[in-house]
Amino acid sequence: MNADGTIQAQKIRKSFGPKTVLKDVDLTIASGEICCIIGPSGSGKSTLLRCINGLETVDSGILKVNGEDFGYYETDTAYHALPPKKLAQQRTRVGMVFQSFNLFPNMTARENVMAGPVLVKRADKKQSAKQAQELLTSVGLGAFGDRYPAELSGGQQQRVAIARSLAMNPEIILFDEPTSALDPEKVGEVLNVMQDLAKKGMTMVVVTHEMGFAREVADSLIFMDEGNVVERGDAREVLTNPKEPRTQAFLKQVL
Amino acid sequence: MSGLDSALKPRLKRRSTFEYVSWVVCILVGIGVLSSVATNPNFKWDVVAKYFTHESILRGLMLTIFLTVASMALGTLLGLGLAIMRASTIKPIAAVAGVYITIFRGTPVLVQLIFWFNLSALYPNLSIGIPFTDIGTAIDTNALMGPITAALVGLTLNEAAYMAEIIRGGFSSVGKGQIEAADSLGMSGAMKMRKVIIPQAMPSIIPATGNQVIGMFKGTSLVSVLGVAELLQSAQLIYARTYETIPLLIVASLWYLVMTMLLSYPQSKLEQKYSHTSARVPRKTRKVTLTAPEGIAR
Repeated sequence: MNADGTIQAQKIRKSFGPKTVLKDVDLTIASGEICCIIGPSGSGKSTLLRCINGLETVDSGILKVNGEDFGYYETDTAYHALPPKKLAQQRTRVGMVFQSFNLFPNMTARENVMAGPVLVKRADKKQSAKQAQELLTSVGLGAFGDRYPAELSGGQQQRVAIARSLAMNPEIILFDEPTSALDPEKVGEVLNVMQDLAKKGMTMVVVTHEMGFAREVADSLIFMDEGNVVERGDAREVLTNPKEPRTQAFLKQVL
Repeated sequence: MSGLDSALKPRLKRRSTFEYVSWVVCILVGIGVLSSVATNPNFKWDVVAKYFTHESILRGLMLTIFLTVASMALGTLLGLGLAIMRASTIKPIAAVAGVYITIFRGTPVLVQLIFWFNLSALYPNLSIGIPFTDIGTAIDTNALMGPITAALVGLTLNEAAYMAEIIRGGFSSVGKGQIEAADSLGMSGAMKMRKVIIPQAMPSIIPATGNQVIGMFKGTSLVSVLGVAELLQSAQLIYARTYETIPLLIVASLWYLVMTMLLSYPQSKLEQKYSHTSARVPRKTRKVTLTAPEGIAR
């Protein structure tokens, strides 16, 4: 199987103690698809996203990312966890952007962007610095490379975080409520960067509360509630004509 | 309300009567203590002066400094190892570190020092080699475990337990999000430790370590029971001969005081440097940052 940027999930189950957060979730995301996941808090949308790059492990079900079983290999009787090196290698192909940015505060913006290529992929430093500069420029922060995260606004930090994910050249990039921790006036700058990214054909899965972004940019939309995918379909279609009563009720609340 | 313009008058802090009383009492007590110390001939300040820079006292001081530096350095290294082990997801490794820390923190250092000094009672010979074969060598424990070695081993192993807890505390101060960010980039465990966790744990580790150094400096006086001629033992050796007990204890105390005061200066500097923020913002970049070069909304 080659790199392909697809995600397939069948009957994914995940529990935290007695609480089941994902109940037989099915998901198919095509290469280059921009998929938004919406739903009330506690609906399992973040957990689903975190499973896709191994920050959480699924309890059962099939999860294929980039066409490969993610984090596990299958035998006749069971799925066995991959050794850490293999898992890390799979993870390098799935970028993650966090709600709270999680930039490394002990590194400058440039060093943050270079961290993946230099430390993990052992890429050439000079070339990585050049690539980092290009990426920072592409998110509008070309002159901010020498700053530490503490010296940047939330919106700037999040754009650096996006550049950091892109530096690994992932096929898929996951966004976990990327604008939820931002001042309202900074939301736009991050969404603009994400919109640019969407045009470049990368697979994007975005957990978000930004219905405007979902309508404008997303191809597909998933509405989750209580660990289930309640409704999924074309983004504009679901937003304007939700079929399920639960989706209708939710959208009424947020729109 | 004449005089100054009311709007420009300074606003003074309220001083309680208690503050004035405390000044008076403090000064009176101070004068009393000082005059007593100065005039009581039993303090024998001339003897203090004579021995303050005595050769064997200075040699003792050097040994005390050596023991402090060596056991702190080794203890920190070992403590780092233990902290990493303690954080391991592999249960037996974490458990070994846990047991070690419990034992070495739970028993007095003095007892540990005497224990190591008397190790030969337990194992008369120590041997290195492959079990159940003749390959390897054995040495007499008494020859190996001299007083200074026993002191070094005892202090180091004890310090390691405390440093392990300090370092572990530092590790747990690093946010979960940082580890997730490192994981999502595909960093290995060792890389994560070196590039993400340890640098960010430093701000909470360094000030606490400074305290440990000061504690260790005074703690080395315990090894005098092993007959190691460090600072206290050097003073004791002199007064055993001259019976000038108090003056020589004052000599040793003054040296301890001078050294801890010297150490507490860099310690408080370090504490200031690392206390306010976990985010490291070096001064050199701070200047450049106040201008926004690109036309970006800030």
